[in-house]
Amino acid sequence: MIEIHPDQSFIPTLSENLNHPDKLAPWSGFKLAYQAAKFKTVPKFDGLLALDHLPHVDFMEHQVEAAETVVHQMNGRAILADEVGLGKTLEAGLILKEYMIRGRAKKVLILTPASLVNQWIQELNEKFYIQAASPRKKQASWEDWDVTVTSIDMAKRENHKESILDIEYDLIIIDEAHKLKNHQTKNYQFVQSLKKTYCLLLTATPIQNKLSDLFNLVSILKPGYLGNLTDFKKKYRENSQEKDNIQHIHSLVGHLMIRNRRKDTGLDSSKRKVVNERLSFTEEEMEMYKKLESLKAGHPSFTWLTLAKELCSSREACYMSLNQLKKNASEENAVVYDEYIEAIGQVPHHIKAKRMTELIEKTGEKFIVFTEYRATQFYLQWYLQQNGITSVPFSGKFNKSKRDWMKQLFKTKAQVMVATEAGGEGINLQFCHHMINYDLPWNPMRLEQRIGRIHRFGQEHDVKIYNFAIKDTIEDHIMKMLYEKIEMFKNAVGDLDHILEQIPGGSFDHQIQSILKQSDSQGEVDIKLQNLVSYVEHTVNERRESS
Amino acid sequence: MNAVNPYKTFVKQFFLSYGCSIIDDLPSHFTIQLTSEMDEEIMNRPFYWHYMKKMNREGDPMRLTFTDTDQKQAGGIYLHAGTPKLHTLYNTAIKKGRTARLYEVIHEFTAQNRAMSPWLIVNALLHYRGKQTKDEPISIGINLIHGTMMLGMMEKIQHMDFEPTVSDYTFPMTPVISLSNAYKRMERHIETYIAQQDNQWIKESLLHLKQETQLLESFYESEDIDLDSFTKEREQIDNRYKPYIEMEVINGGMFYISQETSATWIH
Repeated sequence: MIEIHPDQSFIPTLSENLNHPDKLAPWSGFKLAYQAAKFKTVPKFDGLLALDHLPHVDFMEHQVEAAETVVHQMNGRAILADEVGLGKTLEAGLILKEYMIRGRAKKVLILTPASLVNQWIQELNEKFYIQAASPRKKQASWEDWDVTVTSIDMAKRENHKESILDIEYDLIIIDEAHKLKNHQTKNYQFVQSLKKTYCLLLTATPIQNKLSDLFNLVSILKPGYLGNLTDFKKKYRENSQEKDNIQHIHSLVGHLMIRNRRKDTGLDSSKRKVVNERLSFTEEEMEMYKKLESLKAGHPSFTWLTLAKELCSSREACYMSLNQLKKNASEENAVVYDEYIEAIGQVPHHIKAKRMTELIEKTGEKFIVFTEYRATQFYLQWYLQQNGITSVPFSGKFNKSKRDWMKQLFKTKAQVMVATEAGGEGINLQFCHHMINYDLPWNPMRLEQRIGRIHRFGQEHDVKIYNFAIKDTIEDHIMKMLYEKIEMFKNAVGDLDHILEQIPGGSFDHQIQSILKQSDSQGEVDIKLQNLVSYVEHTVNERRESS
Repeated sequence: MNAVNPYKTFVKQFFLSYGCSIIDDLPSHFTIQLTSEMDEEIMNRPFYWHYMKKMNREGDPMRLTFTDTDQKQAGGIYLHAGTPKLHTLYNTAIKKGRTARLYEVIHEFTAQNRAMSPWLIVNALLHYRGKQTKDEPISIGINLIHGTMMLGMMEKIQHMDFEPTVSDYTFPMTPVISLSNAYKRMERHIETYIAQQDNQWIKESLLHLKQETQLLESFYESEDIDLDSFTKEREQIDNRYKPYIEMEVINGGMFYISQETSATWIH
C-alpha cells in the first residue's frame, strides 16, 4: 500500500564492475563503506540530530524548542518572530541543518538584505559547517549551488530571475521578512512565485503597521489560509473591537508562528539601564528656538514641529530644512527665511554635543550614537574629531562592503560610531555596550530596535543607554508624553510591542504620523497624542485584568 | 574518559586501508600521513595537484591530525558526529567500497577441494519519507545456488576474513540464480517487511496530507486562490507529506562462502 522507490542502478553497476576487478573493493573497504553509511543514518523520526553535529555551538533552550516545533509540528513552514536579539538566525540555521541531515534539504535559497549576506555565509560556515555561495556581479550558477545566499534585489534581476524561478527549492529562508508586507510590490510577487517545499520567514516585527501585514506573510506560507485579503480586511476592520475575531486569527496564526520574548527566555543576564538626560539650551539656543515659533503662523503645524525637532538635534539639521523651505518658496516669500537662516548661523555649539563628549571622555568606552538626521551625523563626526575622539559613520545607505568595513573599523579602531536611523537594521554590535540616543524618534518602539543592536544574544555586559532631550522644548514634550508613560506601561505588562502593533486603524507609528500631519495646532497634537496614549493604557489594563 | 570515540576507530581504519600511515598515535590525538592519491581525493586542492602534475613533480601530501577532545589548545580536527572532514571520509568510503567480489579465507586443508557457494550480499538504507523522516540500514544475503535468504548479513560475516582471490584447495561454484533475479527477491522481501511494520507514521502523514489538501481545496472553491497557486501548492503539499520509502543501495557484492560457515547461521 505504500510506495517503495527501488534502486535500479545497483545491479547493472555490480555486473559491470565484476568484469573489471580493479573497480572492486577489498574487504576492509567494503566494511568501511557499510560503517560509514551506518554513521550517516538518521535513526529516528523525532528529535534534533543537528545538536549532535554541532557540539561547539551553545544553543539556548528557546532556540532548540523553536527548531523542534518547526521541524516536527509545523512541518517546515513557519514564521520565526522572536524579539530582536534572541537569535532567529541560529534557529533558522538549526532547522536548515536538521533538514540537510535528514536528507530533506539539498537546494536551499536564503534571501536577506544585501548588508547581511556576508554575515549569513560566515555564520553558516562557522557555526553550521554549511558552505554557502553568493552571486557576484557576473557569476551566478544558481543551478549548481546547493545553498545560495543573496538579496531579493539581486535575485529578481532580469538575468537571474528566470533561472531561480525554474529551480524547485527544498527550503527557502527569508530574513527581515516584514519588508514583504505589501503584496503589491514586485518583491512580494517574486517571493510568492518561487517554488519551495519548506519555507521560513524571519522577522522581529510580524505586524508592523496593520493586521494585513501578517496576512501577507501567512499567504507566502499557506495561500488562502486566512481567506482572501478583501474579506480579511472587511472582517477585521468592521469588527476589530470584537475579541472573538482577534482571538480566532491568533489561534490560526499560532500554528504557523513562533514568537519568543526576551522576558520568557531568561535572557536578562545582561541588564539594560536607561537614563533620560534632560539638558537645558543655552540662552542663544533658546532664543533661536523661540524665534522659530513665529513660523507657526504661516505654515502647517507639521513644518514647525519638524524644524523645532531638528533644532533640538543640531543647527545643521535645522539649517538644511530652512534652506529647503526657501528653495521651494516663491521668490517674494523666500526672503522670509533669510532672517532665520542668518540667525541660525549665530548659534554656538550644541549643548547635546558637549554633553555627549563629556560622557564619552568620562568612561573611555565604545559608544554608538544614533541620530535621525544626516546633517547631525556629519556635525557630530566633525565635533568629535575636534575633541580628539575617533569615530566612524554608519548608514543603511552604505553598500555591503562599506558596512562591513565600518563595523570592522568601529570594532578595532574607532571609539564611536555615529549612525543614522537607517543603520538600525541588521548589524550586530555586541562588543559595544553604551548607546546615546542623540535625538528621539516619535515612536518609542524604534528605540527598541536600536537598543537591540547591542543588547542582544551574546552581550556579556550590562548595557547603558542615554536618551537626550532638551528641557522646555518639543523633545521634552515627546519624552514626557510618550516615552515615560509608555515605559511605565511596559514595566507593567512587558509585551508592549504586541499592543502597539494591534491598535485598530494602524500601528502606533502610523497613528503618530497621521496625528502630526493632520493637526492644525500643537494643542490638537497634544490632545490626540494623549488620546492615543490613553488607548494604550486602556488596553494594557484590560490585558492585565484578563490575565 | 568516557566510552571510546567511535569515529576514531573508523578514521584510523579508513586511512590504514587506503595505504596511509599513522605517524603519531597518542591517547588524545593521532596524526596521519596522507598518500598523494588520498590527498587529491579528500583535501580539495585540485589546483595544487593539477600544477604538480603539469610540472611533473611529486607533490607534497599533507598530514592530518585528529583529536577526540574539543580542547582548542590540543589542535587537530575534533571528531564528533558533525565534523565536516569526517563526512568527506564517509562519502569517500562509500564511493570506494561500492562493489566487491570476495572469497572466504580457508586455512585448513581437507582431502577434497572445498566448494564455495556464491552469495549476493546487498547493504541498503531504507529512507522513510513522509511528514517526518528516518533511515533504516538493512543487510541481506541470498545464496545464489539454492536461494536461501539471510538477514543481518553484515553482522554475520563482519569478523570473518575475505580475500579478493580464492584460497588454495577451494573452488567457487557457478551461480544458478542470476543477480537480477536475486535482487528482485530482495525487493519483494523488503515490501513484505515494510507491510508488517507498525505503520503509524504512514497514517499520520496521510492524515496531514488529507487535511492540508482539503483545506487547500476549500480555498480554491471559495476562490481565495487561483488555479496557478492551487496547482503549485498541491504539489508542494505532496512533497511535504506524501509517505513513501526510498531504497538506496550502499554497497553489495559477490561473496563466496563455504557451506560449513553458512551452516552455522541456520541455528
